[in-house]
Amino acid sequence: MASTGAGYDLSPTTFSNDGRIFQVEYATKAVENSGTTIGIRCSDGVVLGVEKLLTSKMLLKSSNRRVATLDAHCGLVLCGLAADGRQIVGRARDECSNYDEVYGDKIPPRVLAARLADYVHYFTIHGALRPFGTASMIAGYDPCTKTHELYAVEPSGVCLRYFGCALGKGRQSAKSEIEKLDLSTLTCKDALREIAKMIHTVHDESKDKPFALEMAWLTKDTGFEFALVPDDLVQEAEAWAKAKLEEDDDDDDDDDDAEMTPAPPTDAASPS
Amino acid sequence: MAGGVAEKMESSSPMRHTTRPIVTGTSVLGLKYKDGVMLAADTLASYGSLAMFQDMRRISKTGSYTLVGGSGEMSDYAAITHMLEDLDRENKNANDGFEFSPKEIFYYLRAVMYQRRNKFDPLWNSLVVGGFKDGQPFLGCVDLRGTAFEDDVVATGFGAHLALPVMRNKWRPDLEEGEARALLEDCLRVLYYRDCRALDKVQLSKATSEGTRISEPYKLETDWASASFVAGPGGDLDGDGGW
Amino acid sequence: MAVAYSGGVIMGADSRVSTGTYVANRVSDKVTAIHDKIYLCRSGSAADTQAVSDYVRHYLGAHAIECGRPPLVKTAANLCKRICYANKDRLLASVIVAGVDPYEGGSVYVIPLGGTCAKVPFAIGGSGSTYIYGHVDHVYRPDMTKAECVDFVKTAVERAMARDGSSGGIIRLVDISAEGVQRDFVVVN
Repeated sequence: MASTGAGYDLSPTTFSNDGRIFQVEYATKAVENSGTTIGIRCSDGVVLGVEKLLTSKMLLKSSNRRVATLDAHCGLVLCGLAADGRQIVGRARDECSNYDEVYGDKIPPRVLAARLADYVHYFTIHGALRPFGTASMIAGYDPCTKTHELYAVEPSGVCLRYFGCALGKGRQSAKSEIEKLDLSTLTCKDALREIAKMIHTVHDESKDKPFALEMAWLTKDTGFEFALVPDDLVQEAEAWAKAKLEEDDDDDDDDDDAEMTPAPPTDAASPS
Repeated sequence: MAGGVAEKMESSSPMRHTTRPIVTGTSVLGLKYKDGVMLAADTLASYGSLAMFQDMRRISKTGSYTLVGGSGEMSDYAAITHMLEDLDRENKNANDGFEFSPKEIFYYLRAVMYQRRNKFDPLWNSLVVGGFKDGQPFLGCVDLRGTAFEDDVVATGFGAHLALPVMRNKWRPDLEEGEARALLEDCLRVLYYRDCRALDKVQLSKATSEGTRISEPYKLETDWASASFVAGPGGDLDGDGGW
Repeated sequence: MAVAYSGGVIMGADSRVSTGTYVANRVSDKVTAIHDKIYLCRSGSAADTQAVSDYVRHYLGAHAIECGRPPLVKTAANLCKRICYANKDRLLASVIVAGVDPYEGGSVYVIPLGGTCAKVPFAIGGSGSTYIYGHVDHVYRPDMTKAECVDFVKTAVERAMARDGSSGGIIRLVDISAEGVQRDFVVVN
């Protein structure tokens, strides 16, 4: 009984016997049950994509956005409870404008991510507070060092920098897909398609709710300004992804028929 | 900011606020013309009578449609510009394509200026707001008391005395861009001749259906031919007795 | 005063601090460090400018640690401006912020009385500055070498000290570049 830690999960202020904070772990569960969220740092920018599950057919597709612009040079995508996420977005925006006011310059993405992590972490150390059921991925450009960066902040308050990151339901397979990509040469335009493909792959149409694919980026082409990816580009990426998936399916079928055929070439520009 | 006044009331020393401008810019001019609105100002920031900063840009963009020109205390103008940047950032963060019209910016600034004057802590500026959105030109002026009005031609500072009459005389609603520009340059020249706090380095800006543009600072051409009337060609003794 | 040259800045000041017409300190140092490679030329009330520079040094130090890299000169100037602007009715402080950072190289900012902040190629300030505006405008050229800048600062401060009763003593010089900071002083006879 004691080793299961039962009874120690009511407050984030109490550790379990084996040194865990259950409330924080439960918060992480809320993130894991959310739509798949992917961030990739490419050679020429950062791309964020999210599978926004639509709870009702009557919902306007563009409502309840999961991607948020914070400032000209940075933005984030949310994974987990949308309402908790709005709190994070609000804080992140305040941090951006406050830094600009005090230091007269754009906030470095690293500092923004660290400050946001501090904020999120605060909610894991007070008995009167509930941890955030939301993780966020921050894409930012640092005008001083002229670099673009991707960070993820988890409900525990952990903040890490990534080349590629996936959160939510389909994170496992998305992560292994990202690992196949050569991120040092991949462009944002390609990443758009790859992300679309990953999200369509992990989405189970028979089981999951319908979804809208939301994407945002920060690329050389947009002058490293954070922006929602234009609808036509998203649609094109989705069309490409769907076609690719069908193709792969066909190939798989072929494989079943004739076991001698070589494995289908992966579309990823990956070094073997 | 909230409670600032109350805190000061509680302290034993009397309230003290901005009572005089220190680093100042002079006139800003604006007029409507055929394609939109044009704003003009020189690039001088004076420190008393000292021409301290000769490359101070006093016209700025906010959003895609609006220009704001400022005369008066330059630190306050910088604070106002910063407020507008914050406003613009909030707008852009919404990602819904909405942007404030020049008129909305104008009323916002009026509210800010009036609020500050009610705290007896005015932002010591006269602002000219010009813009063009949805086919509509806008031109207005707000001062440090929150007095606000719109007009086809506006001018602040010395310009209100020297340039406004000239602009009203020559103004037509169908002024071509070249004519508008020439008129503003004429006015800036007059100001350079007759305003001790003016400079011959100026910036022009326009707001049209194509958005807003601000020129780089450039030097006005000036004419001093009338100087020859003072002394005659034969020397001082041949003059007309003028100075 | 301060001048920017390619890759660094030269700052200079006289060493007189006076209370009325009495010289309170004839060898003071009015070029104050607020970070490793960002310095302040102080003029106006000594008490006020010391207080301002103490605050800015504190904030800038914390900021550099948070960012994990050297702060921008622009940031130092903005911190000064915020204090001077927010307290303009209580302060008699006008400062020149100059130094180098890895991103913009050498830069000079001036913040006169009201809390206006402007980036400039060179700046003069303090009581003696009014006597040398003509001189510096005449002599200054953009793209001066470091040696020329040192000479420019030295002569200008010397001229101000010669004509301004509230300036005097020695000339303190500070050279800030990516390589480091070097201090020097000149005794004017």
